[in-house]
Amino acid sequence: MRDKRTSLEAAIAAVPDGARLALGGNTLHRGPGAAVHELVRQGRRGLEIVKTAGAYDIDLLCGVGAAATVSAGFVGFETAFGLAPSYRRAVEGGRVEAREHACYTVIAGLRAAIQGVPFMPVAGLTGSDLPAARGFRRLGDPYGGGEVVVIPALVPDVAIVHVQEADAIGNARIVGTRFEDVLMVQAARRVILTAERIVDGAGFEAAPETVAIAGFMVDAVVEAPGGAWPFGCAGLYDFDTEYLAAYVAASRAEETLLRFVRERILDDAAAMVLA
Amino acid sequence: MVVTLARLLGDGETVFHGVASPLPMVATLLAKRLHAPDLVYLSIGGGVDPDPVRLPVSTVDPALLHGTRALVTLTDLFDLAARGRLDVAFLGGVQIDGSGRINMSLIGDPARPKVRLPGGAGSAALMPVARRTILWRTKHDPRTFVERLDFVTAAGNVAHVITPLCLFARREGRLVVESVHPGVDPDALRAATGFPLAVDSGTPVTQAPTAAELGALAQIDSDHVRVSEFERATGGG
Repeated sequence: MRDKRTSLEAAIAAVPDGARLALGGNTLHRGPGAAVHELVRQGRRGLEIVKTAGAYDIDLLCGVGAAATVSAGFVGFETAFGLAPSYRRAVEGGRVEAREHACYTVIAGLRAAIQGVPFMPVAGLTGSDLPAARGFRRLGDPYGGGEVVVIPALVPDVAIVHVQEADAIGNARIVGTRFEDVLMVQAARRVILTAERIVDGAGFEAAPETVAIAGFMVDAVVEAPGGAWPFGCAGLYDFDTEYLAAYVAASRAEETLLRFVRERILDDAAAMVLA
Repeated sequence: MVVTLARLLGDGETVFHGVASPLPMVATLLAKRLHAPDLVYLSIGGGVDPDPVRLPVSTVDPALLHGTRALVTLTDLFDLAARGRLDVAFLGGVQIDGSGRINMSLIGDPARPKVRLPGGAGSAALMPVARRTILWRTKHDPRTFVERLDFVTAAGNVAHVITPLCLFARREGRLVVESVHPGVDPDALRAATGFPLAVDSGTPVTQAPTAAELGALAQIDSDHVRVSEFERATGGG
C-alpha cells in the first residue's frame, strides 16, 4: 500500500472551508492539538465540528472564526478550567450555531454513516426538547413495537485523529481510551492521522488485534510528536494545565483571545492573516 | 454531599458517570470502599472498576484506567443503558425543576440564548433509560432550582438530587425534601429553592458523616479534587 506520510501543512490544506470535520479525543484528552493549530494558521472558515465532548479544539476554532457550526454533546473544560468562553460568546453572538447532541446521538449519526443507512434508531430522548430542536424525527416500529427516535446519518467530510503510533500507510495504535475515534475514521470521507511516532508496520504483525485503525481507511499520515498538545496523550503526557489555564483566561474576551493566538499559536506570517 | 451520594449506591449495582463529574467519581470510589465492594464502577473513559493511584480533576482522564482489567467504549456504555442494564447514571444540571428535569443547554431564548451552557453530554439519552438517575449540583439557589426550565435538556428516571443544602427524592413525579443537611435552616432552604417545598423543623436531618466515612474519604480524595466542583461548577454528565 502507498506511503501516506505528508506534512501537517499539506494534510490540513486538504480540509476545505465549510467541511464537516470530526475531531478525535474527548474534553482535555488526545484531541488533535497540532492539527487544530494548523487549521487556525491556514485561516480555515465555515467548519462544522463534530465531536461528543470537546474543549480547547472547539473553543479555539469558534474564537478565531474558523467554526460556523458545532455538533456536540458537551463543550467545556470540565471542572479543571470551567466553561468554554469563546464558544459561549460565538453562540450567544449568533456567529456559531450550536447543534446540541446527546453524545449518543453523535454516535448514532456516525453509526448510520458507517453502516451506509440514512438514519439510526436510538433509545432514550423522551421528555427532552433536543429532538424537536434538532429536528430528530420519531418513527413507528414496522414490526409492531412503539415509536423510536431516529438520528440522521452524520457523515464527516474529514476526520482528524491523533494517535500514539502509526505506520506509513496509516495502521495505528491508540493507547488507552479510543473515544469515538474509530467510529469517526469509519464514518468519514477522508481521514487524517497525526501520530506521536511513525513506526515500521511490520512490528504490528505480532499483535494486529492491538491496532485500532486499519490503514486502508486512512488518507494521510503526519508525524507529529507532541501533536495532541495542549491536550493530554495517554501514556506520554498529561494535558498542559498551565497553558490551558492561561488560554481559558485569555478566551474570556475576543481581544485577549486574539492576542493569545497571535503570540502563542501563530507564526508571524499567519498572525498577519488573522490581523 | 459526597458521603450522602455514596450512601445512595447499593452493592452490586452498575454505576456510570461522565465528564466534569468529580463528586460522582469520589462518591462511587467511596461506596466501593465502604459498603459496596461489588459495585461495578464505569465511567466515560471506559475503564471498568479502576483503582486510581491519584484522582484526576478531569473525569475523562487516563488516571481512571489504572487498575482496570477491561476496557469498554462510550458506545458500549450507552448501549448498556439503552438495553436497561445500567442501574445508576450520575448527571448534573445547571437548572433543575420541581419534577427533576434538567437544563444543561442554554439560558434565555433557544433561538438566541443569553447564555450558552456546555450541553447535556449524555443526559438526554441516559436519563430515560438508566434504572435510576442521581442528579448533583454544588449550588443551591433560586436560579438553579427553578419552577420552569428555559430548555428541557433531559427528563427521566430521577431518583435523588443532592445539593449543598439537602437531599431531594422524587416521589410521584415531584422533588420532595428527603433530608436537610445538618445546620441548614428550613426557611433558608425554601428561600433558596424556586419551586414550593414542604419542609419544616420536623423534616429529617441528613446523617452527618461518620468517622469511618470521613477517614475513607480522606484516603480516596487526599488531593481534595472534589473541591474543584465548588470552584467551577460547569455541570457535568
